[in-house]
Amino acid sequence: MTHHLPISFSLNGEAIAIEVPTHTLLVDLIRDRIGLKGTKRSCDMEVCGACTVLLDGAPISSCTTLAVDVDRREVTTIEGVTPADGLSRIQEAFVRHGGLQCGFCTPGFIMAVTALLKAKPHPTDDEIRHYLHGNLCRCTGYIKIFEAVKSLA
Amino acid sequence: MSKTIDNMSSVRPDLIEKVTGRAEYITDLTVPGMLHGFVVRSPAVHARIVSIDTSAALASDGVVDVLTGADVAQFGLWGLVLKDRPIIAIDRVRHVGEPIAVVIADTVEIAENAAELVDVEYEELPRATTIREAMADGAPLIHAHHENLQDFYFKGGARPTQGSNVFHTYRNEVGDVDAAEATAAYIHEDHFTFPGISHFALEPHTVIADFKGDSLTIWAGAQTPTAVQKVLSRLFGLQLARIRVIVPFVGGGFGGKASVKIEPLVAAASWKVQRPVRIAQSQVESMLTCRRLGADITIRTAVDAKGRIVAKSAKLLLDGGAYSDTGSAVATKSANRIMGPYVMPNLRLEAQAVYTNTIPGAAFRSIGGPQAVWAKESHMDNVAAAIGMDPSEFRLINLASRGQRTRPDLRALDMDMSELMGRVSQSFGTEANASNRKSRGLAVAATDPANTPISNAIVRLKIDGSILVSTSAIEVGQGSHATMGRIAAQTLKQPASAVTVLRTDTAVAPYDWGTGASRSTIVVGLSVEKAALDAADQILEMVADVWELPKESLSLVEGGVSIGAEVLTFHEIFHRTLGVDSGEVIGRGAITPRSKKGALVESPLFWETSAGLAEIIVDEDTGEIHIPHYASAADVGRVINRVAAEGQDEGAAVMGFGHALYEQLEFEDGQPVNANPIDYFIPRISDVPPAFDTILIENGDGPGPGGAKGMGEGAILPVAPAIANALFSAYGIRITDLPMTPEKVWRALQKRN
Repeated sequence: MTHHLPISFSLNGEAIAIEVPTHTLLVDLIRDRIGLKGTKRSCDMEVCGACTVLLDGAPISSCTTLAVDVDRREVTTIEGVTPADGLSRIQEAFVRHGGLQCGFCTPGFIMAVTALLKAKPHPTDDEIRHYLHGNLCRCTGYIKIFEAVKSLA
Repeated sequence: MSKTIDNMSSVRPDLIEKVTGRAEYITDLTVPGMLHGFVVRSPAVHARIVSIDTSAALASDGVVDVLTGADVAQFGLWGLVLKDRPIIAIDRVRHVGEPIAVVIADTVEIAENAAELVDVEYEELPRATTIREAMADGAPLIHAHHENLQDFYFKGGARPTQGSNVFHTYRNEVGDVDAAEATAAYIHEDHFTFPGISHFALEPHTVIADFKGDSLTIWAGAQTPTAVQKVLSRLFGLQLARIRVIVPFVGGGFGGKASVKIEPLVAAASWKVQRPVRIAQSQVESMLTCRRLGADITIRTAVDAKGRIVAKSAKLLLDGGAYSDTGSAVATKSANRIMGPYVMPNLRLEAQAVYTNTIPGAAFRSIGGPQAVWAKESHMDNVAAAIGMDPSEFRLINLASRGQRTRPDLRALDMDMSELMGRVSQSFGTEANASNRKSRGLAVAATDPANTPISNAIVRLKIDGSILVSTSAIEVGQGSHATMGRIAAQTLKQPASAVTVLRTDTAVAPYDWGTGASRSTIVVGLSVEKAALDAADQILEMVADVWELPKESLSLVEGGVSIGAEVLTFHEIFHRTLGVDSGEVIGRGAITPRSKKGALVESPLFWETSAGLAEIIVDEDTGEIHIPHYASAADVGRVINRVAAEGQDEGAAVMGFGHALYEQLEFEDGQPVNANPIDYFIPRISDVPPAFDTILIENGDGPGPGGAKGMGEGAILPVAPAIANALFSAYGIRITDLPMTPEKVWRALQKRN
């Protein structure tokens, strides 16, 4: 039978206390239970990066992370890096440089770049490629994504 | 919106919604009372369904119902060109992954768990899993008979061969190939193959259907909402006016969401329970839903003593998978697209599409194009080498010039391919280093988009100067909504910020053929322009009538109408005309084959053209190909949004790198081997050439607004043959089947040594 556990964690700075089935995935908790739909679900296999969120500041795939594993930790989603008014500098760079088309992979990219620039405020070309290796985009061919990140480096 | 963005007049509103995660995709929608469906899929390649036992699944807590073939047999078959597809497998499965049952439950989890309890007994049937097997004497028939639907989706139909697996044959012959070959100085023949390729849109297929009595609402990431509406209307016997298709932002399509895919299945599930049902496929399921058609191509060129092409012939066999979808059109287009921008006085083309017991084929970016251009442009370099001519020179002396026809039944070329070739070459600089030049490969393409000239648009100008644009063009990332908004704003002389483009909804939007074939900017764009002109005419007519002024003296300006000395605001105009401070004018624009005095009828509406130049380095120990530099050029007529236009071509080219180097849906006796995101590779950011030139040629000579041509499908075409031609030139190996994996290249290098 389904086993439930109570967890408490910080989501975008807000304290959340919730009981979840032990097999619930973080992506489903965020999207379906809490209702933040900005995080996207695509490959279910930690391949594409569309579901990337930050766990204690580090990018992870929420599609292969158990919700119970974020107990007493900090989770940040696309909603947490979007200013109440306007765009973050990363979001603005993506818009300005056309680093997105269909936009389905974009929240994942924004989260990965957020982590990249925090770890390395002035990344080299190779560091950008390395850091974004785990995020797939089928529309842009990555060139304008690269230019967007480069403009912030 | 931040200040800096406010100042970016060209910014696409959809991009703001997308970077913030606020953009709504089909997977983000819920409908009150919605149930969840989970699809039970065939593990068998080709089998008779002996029995389906759903009792254990039905007995599960939270399961509402289970849909099987017995429920839907009464509705018959559906299709776009051939009527060959049941809503859900009835008595037989024809490919692995074919839907057998849908478990409908309160939650996805319950449905998924109960799906494991559906017990299906299969009796294996003889299978035909490759083109060769499907065309062999005595091959098992995958469909017993073929029913063509003439003019249903595309103009024309399929030409199936009854009693065989061939569901379409297209032939076109010009001049006398045999006679030309008899007197030719040299004849060269090659054979190439091309694998099935997954669309791999990041958003898998998801549909919500709400069947209520005799009306049906569908939320889907559909590229062609009116085709979905039509197929569902015929299948379920519903009036078109009672079927509403709503398309939120679409998370990538590339053809994989064109025509009709899982909408009938989800609609049937909702019909059975008379409640809204959502089916959200996984990426694995979407990889089992559709794919690009594989191909087997024989191509032959005859030249005279000066290297001029005197005859060309090609035979293309396309692997259409278990259901035809639009595979017949893919086959026809592959034949047209193997011609290229060359003068070919004698020509013989034959393309056939064949059923196999594999994942159904479907439209995919430049239908039939990558298959054909892979063969044609690799072959061009082989012919050049055989007659001792430089491959660029061989192309140049055989190019058809602007205004010349490559085939009598196709529009004359509206571009100059030597300009594209010159531009890609120029972008590599002028270094004359011979060894460097040798590691380069070139390929060119000229394709005929099927941009059906049928579209309608509504543009409403409101009393406060705001403008509402409504079309059936979908927003799949290409920026069509922003483009339509911009066309309306410019035509009505109002700022872009005044325009709102409505989310695609057939209950509001007028009929349009659909989004694909690089047609929206041209065909839908022209209808929007016409609708805006109609709205402008109505408002000017109002002023002329009420203020008793000659209409010619009036002109639209921002916020109103200039009557010479002063400007009447839209408020003043509506208020005085209608007597109340309210109102709007509704402009209507229709594009038909008769528009522009019939100028849109001749096919193609414009030529979609591209050239690609690749420089490669091969690690001879591993066979791995590196591409330090790639240049891509396309003739787009006029750029409407530069960043978006470049992004379209870059995305197409990088998708081409995937086709060239990594991507192949593999089957072992019909069983998909790598149809999952772990084993199937698409390009990553680290696979993009560090130097990449995107060249857009603008001569303002297209049929669209401001001289634009369609775009976004051309740049994928030259990539694979350009890389293969560089391999041939620099390393002396000729790869004839894609993808060019390290193992394949390494083996070829070993064989050469």
